[in-house]
Amino acid sequence: MEEGRAERRRRTEAPSHTQGGPRRAGVMTDVHRRFLQLLMTHGVLEEWDVRRLQKHCYRVHDRTAAVEELEDFINNINSVLESLYIEIKKGATEDDGRPVYALVNLATTSVSKMASDFAENELDLFRKALELIIDSETGFASSTNILNLVDQLKGKKMRKKEAEQVLQKFVQNKWLIEKEGEFTLHSRAILEMEQYIRETYPDAVKICNICHSLLIQGQSCETCGIRMHLPCVAKYFQSNSEPRCPHCNDYWPHEIPVFDPEKEREAGTSRATKRSLRSRQH
Amino acid sequence: MLQKPESGALPIPQAEGEKDGDRDGETQALTASQNEVPSPFLQESPKEDLGARKEEGATESALTPKGSRTLAAKALARRRAYRRLDRTVAELVQFLLVKDKKKSPITRSEMVKYVIGDLKDLFPEIIARAAEHLRYVFGFELKQFGRKHHTYILVNKFKPLEEEEEVEEEDLGGDGPRLGLLIMILGLIYMKGNSARETQVWEMLRRLGVRPSKYHFLFGYPKRLIMEDFVQQRYLNYRQVPHTNPPECEFSWGPRSNLEISKMKVLGFVAKLHKKEPQHWPVQYREALADEADRARAKARAEASMRARARARARATDRAGIYPW
Repeated sequence: MEEGRAERRRRTEAPSHTQGGPRRAGVMTDVHRRFLQLLMTHGVLEEWDVRRLQKHCYRVHDRTAAVEELEDFINNINSVLESLYIEIKKGATEDDGRPVYALVNLATTSVSKMASDFAENELDLFRKALELIIDSETGFASSTNILNLVDQLKGKKMRKKEAEQVLQKFVQNKWLIEKEGEFTLHSRAILEMEQYIRETYPDAVKICNICHSLLIQGQSCETCGIRMHLPCVAKYFQSNSEPRCPHCNDYWPHEIPVFDPEKEREAGTSRATKRSLRSRQH
Repeated sequence: MLQKPESGALPIPQAEGEKDGDRDGETQALTASQNEVPSPFLQESPKEDLGARKEEGATESALTPKGSRTLAAKALARRRAYRRLDRTVAELVQFLLVKDKKKSPITRSEMVKYVIGDLKDLFPEIIARAAEHLRYVFGFELKQFGRKHHTYILVNKFKPLEEEEEVEEEDLGGDGPRLGLLIMILGLIYMKGNSARETQVWEMLRRLGVRPSKYHFLFGYPKRLIMEDFVQQRYLNYRQVPHTNPPECEFSWGPRSNLEISKMKVLGFVAKLHKKEPQHWPVQYREALADEADRARAKARAEASMRARARARARATDRAGIYPW
């Protein structure tokens, strides 16, 4: 009873998510709140950018505190987000395995997060592009093929010229990536929509044999058809001179990509210093 | 139109809620919502739900088989109700975050239609908890436009950082260009004495290479952005000027602009643009100073009343012997 009253007093003074029970939720401070807001604003961020963001939030709100280890920092926030059915999810870019983070909905979501930024016909254009991408062999859909579907869109009539601009908007907002006139899903879309895609396109969806996550781009075995992400291939066949398919044991017919983690980290830091130099110049 | 903090704050439900005898334990726990912790704790500990235990003891002895079955069934029903309530609160939080990105005010009827559904009698409860989550987790204040209109917006607790900060780009987010355009218009309105004719606005934008109906790679269709989006989002007011022939229209600051930015900040922006000091425009500078003083007073008043409310709440819950769970 004593405990109950003391706990109650604490609760009425300041909302706290650290009370009893086996699952202790973390504590949110302005450092965490600003971090969450900025992550939400950017949609998706690469790990080096996330670390920079974290340091920025500490600098603004709590200069004296030690910057918590990123994994713990994020787990702390996620324990608070759990009751809201959202989480900061970690994924990797499909082309070279760079770690990325996004705030995603744990319950199934349609393209709902996009719904606030795009009109009905624009969302439908995205859905059409998404279908083409998922059905394709390479994970890419050509601009021409997407634009040819413009007449089938729901909502207000859209001209091809306008559709080109809308596709660029998708790229700017990190839903699609463009490479030489072809479009594939940005890691943001993969992180946020994986569940939706699996449920909506259960027959067409491709899964990586190694990590079992959604696969858009990757390599496939020509004999048995299993697929793997490029970074998963790199890791699995690392320093293996005779790569063989993990499923059917046939020779793996593709070039094994090599990702140098050291080089990635260097690239990350040099990008960070470049940006800060630029802003100091004005 | 300037949102007074007191009227903007959410009404906090005291021990209201249904007076349904059967569900007393449940509703007591639900209504002491303001400082409540999310569901895992509610689910874990029916034994800590002292209010409910008192009530259950009165109806059935927990020692008989029938008694314990009824007890278990009630506990299960209560847990299910909590889970459903929590889920609805979580959905409302996400709904508000997504809608706020569009910056259009959210109405109560929208919330009921898309999220709350048949739990609409618990609306005050649900929105209070959603507001608490938004405040605690994200640092957004859910503000109501006056008590009568059931319209809400989210206001960020954090002000955008000053430009001297190395990473100022962080805080503009994806909306940088549009916000920049808005600030230019707010600046024009302010410098022209708090209202600007529509023709003046378009003239200024034309000089920047922005035409009303020509698609712009940063702003989309500027006419739609300014006349529809900004007005709908309450950043700008647009009205016809009386006694003008041919009829002219003018823009002024909308209520959201007053909440999210200040005259001083906009004056500072205009000054920087002209490479001068704000004091270069003494009339506007004096007006901005007065506005700053008003804001400081309103803020002090709001904080005092929040503290008083918190004390009253604490006293009320103590007195009624109602445990949050």
